[in-house]
Amino acid sequence: MTEQRSRYGTTVELQPSGKRLELPYVKSVLQLLNKVGARRGTVLVIRDGKLLTPDRKLFPGDEIIVRTVVSAG
Amino acid sequence: MKCKRCKATAAVALPSHHAGFCEECYDLFFTRQVEKGIRRQKLLTFEDRVLVALSGGKDSLALMLVLSKLGYNVTGLHIDLAIPGSSPVARGVVERFCHKHGFKLIVKEMAEEGLAIPLVKARLNRPVCSACGKIKRYFFNKTALDEGYTVLATGHNLDDEIARLFSNTLRWDIAYLSDQGPALPAEGGFARKIKPLYRLSEFETANYSFLQGIEYHYAPCPYSQGASFTQYKKLWADLEDQMPGRKLDFYLGFLERGKEIFARHEQTHGDQLQPCERCGYPTSAEVCGVCRIREAVSRDDG
Repeated sequence: MTEQRSRYGTTVELQPSGKRLELPYVKSVLQLLNKVGARRGTVLVIRDGKLLTPDRKLFPGDEIIVRTVVSAG
Repeated sequence: MKCKRCKATAAVALPSHHAGFCEECYDLFFTRQVEKGIRRQKLLTFEDRVLVALSGGKDSLALMLVLSKLGYNVTGLHIDLAIPGSSPVARGVVERFCHKHGFKLIVKEMAEEGLAIPLVKARLNRPVCSACGKIKRYFFNKTALDEGYTVLATGHNLDDEIARLFSNTLRWDIAYLSDQGPALPAEGGFARKIKPLYRLSEFETANYSFLQGIEYHYAPCPYSQGASFTQYKKLWADLEDQMPGRKLDFYLGFLERGKEIFARHEQTHGDQLQPCERCGYPTSAEVCGVCRIREAVSRDDG
């Protein structure tokens, strides 16, 4: 994750692509999934090395990994 | 969300099971699902010597770990496909995993066999996925038989099985529908093959792998773009999101009520397999698919 990050928004790293997004503050994991266009049950959502369920709240400055679980070959 | 078992904060939400689990209880849930699958389909005994096909992905590594923890006698088999950029990474992941856990590992190098996948791809006039699958299955089977393993286990999960079942149904491929399932018996030159993760979705195995600290290879195969199974998985992900539990219902329903009908038809009308004229591998043709691929590769080499 970059040293420069938004202290007020949500930083997201998509895996496996490695694409990074800086989003305005997102309140929950479910909102985040809607923002990045990912279905529950198709991605792991990770914060500070811990898994988050869709109902979990996010906080300003959070750095989140969204890792797709669907294997492709 | 609270853990269904212990009421701690849940780490994994499973709508298909109407449950959430904390990290500890999830381990128990996952392990019990594997045990249930093994018991219901009589997949394994503790006397079996199990050869586990290890791709380096989350499913195969998770399978190896959970079978080992359950007390089964497991050895890993990795097929190095010699795909630039991808194969060295996958092999490294598998080797580090086996070293970390003290697992025995057999590696078969397709470059040494003259079947490096980029070479095969260059010689075929069709997508390489089918040939790659044929080659892997050939060497899975050969290694299991040559080295005296009583059963070959692969990390196919519920999503893989659903995509395959859906594909077979779309084509009404009776031959494939007649023997699709978590277990194939040892007969006619084939080793016994099992899929102990058949009750578990990719999401569930991914969560297990993450929580167990498994380093796994998650970049897609560079040759997999446009693969139909990926499309089918997306369709089923949409359906499962709307109707949780539908995937497992569909698959178990097929095993319980559908498969037998196709199996009976195939017994009467299906092609009989015989040993390949060149290598002895079971085939419905005179020469098996892998020998024909070898011929195509060597023919163009002059």
